[in-house]
Amino acid sequence: MSESRREALRRKQQAQARAKRTQRIVIVGAIVLAVVVLGVFGTIFISQLNKGGGSPSGSSAIPPNATADRSGIIVNPGKATQGAPTVELFFDYQCPICKQFEGAFGPTLSNMADKGEINLVYRTLTFMDGNLRNDSSTKAGIAAACADNAGAYSAYHNAVFAGQPASEGQGYTTQQLRVDFPATAGITGDALSAFQACYDSRATASFVDGTNEAGAKAGVTSTPTLRVNGTTIDNATISKAGTPEAFRQLVLSTKGNG
Amino acid sequence: MPHTFAGRRWVRWTTFLARQILGWTLIVAGALKLPWPESSVQAVRAYQLLPFDLTRPVGYALPVIEVVIGLLLVIGLFTRIAAWLGVAVMAAFVIGIAWVWAHGLSIDCGCFGGGGEVENGMAQYPWDIARDVGLMACGVWAGLFPRSPLSTDTRLFGDPIDIPTEELEESTA
Repeated sequence: MSESRREALRRKQQAQARAKRTQRIVIVGAIVLAVVVLGVFGTIFISQLNKGGGSPSGSSAIPPNATADRSGIIVNPGKATQGAPTVELFFDYQCPICKQFEGAFGPTLSNMADKGEINLVYRTLTFMDGNLRNDSSTKAGIAAACADNAGAYSAYHNAVFAGQPASEGQGYTTQQLRVDFPATAGITGDALSAFQACYDSRATASFVDGTNEAGAKAGVTSTPTLRVNGTTIDNATISKAGTPEAFRQLVLSTKGNG
Repeated sequence: MPHTFAGRRWVRWTTFLARQILGWTLIVAGALKLPWPESSVQAVRAYQLLPFDLTRPVGYALPVIEVVIGLLLVIGLFTRIAAWLGVAVMAAFVIGIAWVWAHGLSIDCGCFGGGGEVENGMAQYPWDIARDVGLMACGVWAGLFPRSPLSTDTRLFGDPIDIPTEELEESTA
């Protein structure tokens, strides 16, 4: 066998080995990519299960006082005087600082809403479910939206925050959401049965998903967040206001951009 | 054995160690997030770097990608690519932490990612960044010197650099 023929043969073998190696790399690479794609779809599937079995057919109920874009619920429908600013409160029912905020300034906001000084909108977020690895924010949001049917939305909202567990992450019990809070909010008789049916069937689940999504889309990254005509008043400024009257003036003097 | 830096025994074993450290960290970090993709979607949103509509797909894919990169590093498959992807993921985390730090988010209740109130939240940021930079260094090392012992790369594909040239030299000698 001449030197050049041997050389040629070896080159051929090398080329084949290289091609085979490339082929193997491509195949293994494709398998890895397939694992990634399967993994992502698996994650989506599992997260649907974690949400409580997806949305049953009757879950598209919209609370009667929902805003037109379904991003929240109007607390004082028909009461706001003409030209009154729209005040939006973004909160999560499992957020301890939201409870503190409610304790300090909730009554002032309610009072202003009753007098028609503002158009008050509550926007429910549920991201703390993910942080705390439970589904209590969503459940409480569903229940509160159901309470709107009985005309007791803000009363129920207050009952939830009043009953917030002392240790964060403990979550709300079914007994609290289904029996105790509606009692505090004054929902009784037929209204109570209707409320419980609404809660049990998670009728407002997709509405609550929507308010959370809309809140995130509005750029809210922490709760509580207070906006007056679209302008955020930061929480440090609110704390500094101190007294209810100073807080009221702060809200009314915020011009906003809407 | 070629007399290059990358060919030295200690360099290869350091790569082995580096890919184990970074790999297992990514596997654990990703696996913890896997069952709760909504929370990783929120974390992605909190950075406000991506267009809103992209945050959900990215949030869902990120934990899976972390776990897969981690597995690749641990078994030493596609080591170079996996290492640089690992570096990219760690870099994104460092930027994220720095962003939160710079904005002085006091991690009051309900800030994304933490799960509620954190006492002295600010104090831990430098440590978080130091940890992630250390992990990033592991990735850079493994990306620069991807050949290492007990790697699937070598088993499946042979030695990537040696095959063509070295065999030639041996057989002509």
